[in-house]
Amino acid sequence: MLRLLLSTALAAGVASGACAQEITVGAANVSSYLDPGRDHSNVGSQFYYNSFDTLIGKNHDTLDTEWIPALATKWELVDPKTMELKLRDGVTFHNGEVMNADDVVFSLNRMYQADFPPYVVRSRDRLSNFVKVEKVDDLTVRIMVEREEPLWETLLNLQQVMIIPEDYTKGLTGDPKVVEHDDFEAFSLAPVGTGPYRVSEFVPGERVVYERFDDFWGDKAPLAKATVQHIPETASRVTALKTGEAQIVTNIAPDQLSLIESDQNLRTVGSATPLFHVMIMNVNHPKLRDPRIRQALSLAIDRDTLNEALWLGKAVVPSTHTLKEYGDLYMPELKTFEYNPEEARALLKEAGYDGSEITFDTHPTYYTNGMLAAQAITEMWKEVGVNGRVNIAEKWSGRAPEMMTRNWSNPMYFADPFGSFGVMWAPNGPSEGEGRFNTDAGYAEIWERFRFSKDVAARKLAYGELMERIKQDPPVLPLYRPFESWAMRKDVTWAPKPGHIPYVLDFRAGAISFASN
Amino acid sequence: MLSYALRTLIRMVLTFFVIVTIVFFATRLSGNAIDFVIGEGMTSDDRDLLITYYELDRPVLSQYFAFLRSFTDGQFGLSFIERRPVAEIVMERIWPSTQLLLSAVGLTLLVSIPLGIAAAIWRKSWIGSAVMVMAFLGYAVPNFVLATLMVLVFSYWLNWLPVVGNGTALHFIMPTVALSGGLIAALTRFTRNAMLDVLGQDFMRTARAKGLPEHTVIVKHGLRNAGITILSVIGLQVAGLAASGSVVIEAIFAWPGIGDLLVTSALRRDYPVLQFGVLTVALAVIVINAVIDLAYAWADPRLRHTLKG
Repeated sequence: MLRLLLSTALAAGVASGACAQEITVGAANVSSYLDPGRDHSNVGSQFYYNSFDTLIGKNHDTLDTEWIPALATKWELVDPKTMELKLRDGVTFHNGEVMNADDVVFSLNRMYQADFPPYVVRSRDRLSNFVKVEKVDDLTVRIMVEREEPLWETLLNLQQVMIIPEDYTKGLTGDPKVVEHDDFEAFSLAPVGTGPYRVSEFVPGERVVYERFDDFWGDKAPLAKATVQHIPETASRVTALKTGEAQIVTNIAPDQLSLIESDQNLRTVGSATPLFHVMIMNVNHPKLRDPRIRQALSLAIDRDTLNEALWLGKAVVPSTHTLKEYGDLYMPELKTFEYNPEEARALLKEAGYDGSEITFDTHPTYYTNGMLAAQAITEMWKEVGVNGRVNIAEKWSGRAPEMMTRNWSNPMYFADPFGSFGVMWAPNGPSEGEGRFNTDAGYAEIWERFRFSKDVAARKLAYGELMERIKQDPPVLPLYRPFESWAMRKDVTWAPKPGHIPYVLDFRAGAISFASN
Repeated sequence: MLSYALRTLIRMVLTFFVIVTIVFFATRLSGNAIDFVIGEGMTSDDRDLLITYYELDRPVLSQYFAFLRSFTDGQFGLSFIERRPVAEIVMERIWPSTQLLLSAVGLTLLVSIPLGIAAAIWRKSWIGSAVMVMAFLGYAVPNFVLATLMVLVFSYWLNWLPVVGNGTALHFIMPTVALSGGLIAALTRFTRNAMLDVLGQDFMRTARAKGLPEHTVIVKHGLRNAGITILSVIGLQVAGLAASGSVVIEAIFAWPGIGDLLVTSALRRDYPVLQFGVLTVALAVIVINAVIDLAYAWADPRLRHTLKG
C-alpha cells in the first residue's frame, strides 16, 4: 500500500514537473505576421524578444540604462562615425545555420539600406542616420553612420535590428541567391532567429507556439514549450485562467482586477506601461489655429480625475512628455502640461472663442477607457465653456484636415525621448506628415541639438526647449501612462520587466518561474 | 430528376456570380482600405510608398477584374494584412466552423424531432405543455446569453468544461449547446405543428384501422408526411447559422472559425479575405439550399412527379 502511495505521489510529482515546463498564455491579440524588422505594433512587441537577439543587449531588470553583450561581445568606435563590433562565436539560428558577419550585414542592411517598403518606412523614422554595415571578417563588422551618433547602443538594441539568417531568408522564395521582397513576406510567416525559443508553430492571428531551443548561446530557456493563444473575450480569458487552460492572460481591464484578486488561486501583476495615451489637436484646423484655444483645451482637462475615475489611480499622469525609462534624460522637473480651468476660461475669452463645436474623435474600443475618457474630457470642456462633442468612428482621422482633436498613443519604441516624442513629433515626422503639426527652422534647429548632441546636458537643455515650444503652441497633451495588467495562476511567477518596451512577454531565463509545491 | 438537378445547378452558378459582384462592390462601400491597412501616424512619402506596394491605388474596375482572375489560380489573392494566399487563410477556418455547424445540427435533430412528436401526441397532457414552455424559453434566450451562462456555471464555478478552442470532444459541448439552443426551440415547435396537421388526417385513421402498430403509424405515415415542413425549416436555419449565426459563439469560445475571421477582416478592411470569406459562406448557403431542394424532391413524390412532367 505504501509503495502504491509512493509511486502515485512520484507520478504526480513528475506530471506537475512536466506541466511546469509548459504554459499557455491567453492573449487578447496575436500578431498577423512575425518580422521584428517591419513591426513596431504593441501586438507584435509581445513576441520578438523570446526568439530573436540584438547585437547589443540590455539589462531589463532595471530602469537604468545598462548595456550588456548579446550577439556582439565587444564594440568600440574606430572613428567618430564608425563602430566596430566583435560577434559572438558559436551562435546558431533555430534552423541550424551558424551566425556570422554575413547574417549581421544582411539583417542590418535590410533596414539601413531598405528597399522593401515596410522596412523603408520603419527605418526612416528611427534609423535614418545609419548608412551601412560592412563585413571585416567572419566575426567582425563595421557600422557607419552619417553624423556622429550619441545613441549607438540604444539604436543597436532596437527590435527592428534583431538578427535574422541570410541564407534561410533568401532561400524562402524565388532564387535562393537573391533577396526578393517575397522572401521577407515569407519570413514573416516562418520566422527564424537566434533566441532561446524557436517558433515551432505560427497561425497568424490565432497562435504562436514557442519551443525551447537547445543550442541557444545564453542561459537555457526555463520553459520547454509556451503557447500564446488568441482569446478575444476578456471573460473567456479570465475563465480559461480559472479552468487551468491558461496560466497567464493578458490585457485585464482595471475593473476586472478585484474579481481576479478575490480568487485564492489567481493573482494579477501590472505596471504603468511606457506609453502615453495622448490627446492630439490639429494646429491647422481653422477653429484651432489660435494657440490660446488649444492651450485652453489642454488646461481644462483634469487628468488626475481621469486617472482616479478610469484607472483607480493606478495610471501615471505626467507633467511633461517624459518617461522614467529614459534614465538621465528623464525630466519630471519640466512643467509643460497642467490643469488650470481659470486660465483656460481666460484664454478662451482672450482668443474670442465663438462657442463653435469642437469634436473629439475616438475609436469605440481601440484604447482601453478611450471612449470614457473622451466623454469625460468633453464634460470638462463644458465646465470652462467649450462646446465639445465626442465623435465615434473606427477610421483613423489623424490625417483628415477636418479633424479637430482625437485620442492617439505615443509608445516608447526605445528608452530615449527620441524613442517616443522624438519619433512622433520630429520635423517632417508622422505628425507633421499628417498635416496636423507644423515645424519651422527654429524647431528643427532645437530638434537637431536634442537628437545629435554628444553631451547629455546639451540634449536635456534642447529637450526642455522643445517642450517649451509644445507648451506655447500645443499639438498634443499626454493624458497618462495607462495601467496594464496581466493575470496568472498563483504558482506562476512572472511580471513585466521594467527595462522593456511595452507589452513584451519575456520568458527568458530569470523572467518566469514556478512555485515548487 | 436529372434535369431538375441540372436546373438547380445552373441557378446556383448564376446566384454565385451575382453574389461575387455584389460582395466585391459592397465591401468597398464601407471605406477605403488605405485608411485601415496602412495605419496611423505616417508621413505622406511613407504612406504613398506603402499604398503602391500593397496595390491599393488601382482603379476599382481593374481590382474587380483582378479579383475575378484570382478565381483561376486557386489562391483568391493575397491578404492585405497577413500577406499570404486568401484561400489558405480561409481553409484553416472552414473545418472548425463546419464541425461546429454539423454538431449543432446533429444535436438539434436528435433532440427536437422526438420532442416535437411527443409534444404533438401528448398535446393535452403536461408533457406537451412542458415541452412547449421549454421551446418558448429557448426561443427567447439569445445564444450568447446561454453561452455566457454556461461558461459561468460549467467552467468558472464548476471547472468541468474547457472554454478555449476546439481541442477535444469536451470543447464541443458548450458551443454546440449554445448554438443549438435556439434551433432546438424553433424546430421543436415546427415539428409539433407539422405533426398536429398530419395526425388529424384521414390516412392516419386508415393506417391505424389496418392494424399497424402505433410507432409505425407515427413514424412512417405521420413523420414522413410532416417531413416536408420540417425539412424547409431546417434548411433555413442551417443556412442562417452558416451565414452569421456562429460569429459571437466563436468569439466567446475562442473558436478558430470563419465567423471570427469575417469580423476581424471586416474591421481591418482586409478586403481580399473578407470577400472570399463572404463568398465561402454564400456558397455554403447556396449548397445547403440546393441540397434541401433535392431533399424535397426525394421526400415528396408529388413534387418529383410534377417536375418530371
